[in-house]
Amino acid sequence: MENLTLDETKYTPLIELDAAKGVIALTGKSYPENTFEFYKPMMEWMAEYFRTVAKDVTVINLEIIYFNSSSSKLFFDFFDLLDEVKDDHKLDINWIYDEENENAEEAGEDFIEDFEDLPIKLIVKEE
Amino acid sequence: MMDVSKLQAILENDGIVFLSYGGFLTQSLIVGMTEALEKETETAAINMKTANNIYTIFIELSQNMMTYSLSPEEGEQRSDANGLILVGKQQDDSYYLLSQNVMGLEGKEKLEKKLQGILETDLAGIKKLYREARRSGKDTHSKGGGIGFYEIAKRCQSIEFDFKPLNNDKFTFKFKANI
Repeated sequence: MENLTLDETKYTPLIELDAAKGVIALTGKSYPENTFEFYKPMMEWMAEYFRTVAKDVTVINLEIIYFNSSSSKLFFDFFDLLDEVKDDHKLDINWIYDEENENAEEAGEDFIEDFEDLPIKLIVKEE
Repeated sequence: MMDVSKLQAILENDGIVFLSYGGFLTQSLIVGMTEALEKETETAAINMKTANNIYTIFIELSQNMMTYSLSPEEGEQRSDANGLILVGKQQDDSYYLLSQNVMGLEGKEKLEKKLQGILETDLAGIKKLYREARRSGKDTHSKGGGIGFYEIAKRCQSIEFDFKPLNNDKFTFKFKANI
């Protein structure tokens, strides 16, 4: 399976999907105009990855500085997808945020409460 | 000639205006203005939480206006040059965002109900509404529809709004978020 990388823009995060390493990473801001269209290739890649070549452990790193409400919905669907595969795959999920970014921390806490069966860890970013 | 002194007086009375824009909105304009806000909050050494609240509310309000003005739901591709968005600092050093745009009757009734509900709900309740709406709206609102104003309400101290009747079942919607 091919890896998928989307470069960071001023309003979309760096997206790194590495099938060989088993890493799914999003880093940056997220406020695209058509959020679901923008993230469609990522969501399709993830579904395909877990159906076919998923590693023993998949590491998921999310470091989103701020995001719009449609991205919030998209990330909900993202965790929902992980929730559906969690019984068959070992997941190591990290919600990474800057110490001063209380909103990002709270967003992570909300996802932990919404997906209590997912092993989501809150990680304060190293300086 | 346009009376610039009136504009000057508004700016002086209402504190510092970081950014104001009136007219058509596009995603690239929103991105550019968000970048400008980032620079300004950095220069003013505003803490990260407040700064993030400013960007997030700005993005919600402006993307709402952009999406709305492109919507043909009234049977016409309405270009909304009446849209206005402003980010400012009040004399007590608190920040606010103000937006104004034209809405149809249907949109007005839906939004007014939602905003009225927000006014009657405390922060914990708003957070709950936000998460319930996010959960139930799976795959249905590609524009995020529905949770944007909960997001705004979570991130500010208070909201104010007003719908002023225009003509043909149209209304001028004014909204203020006090951070």
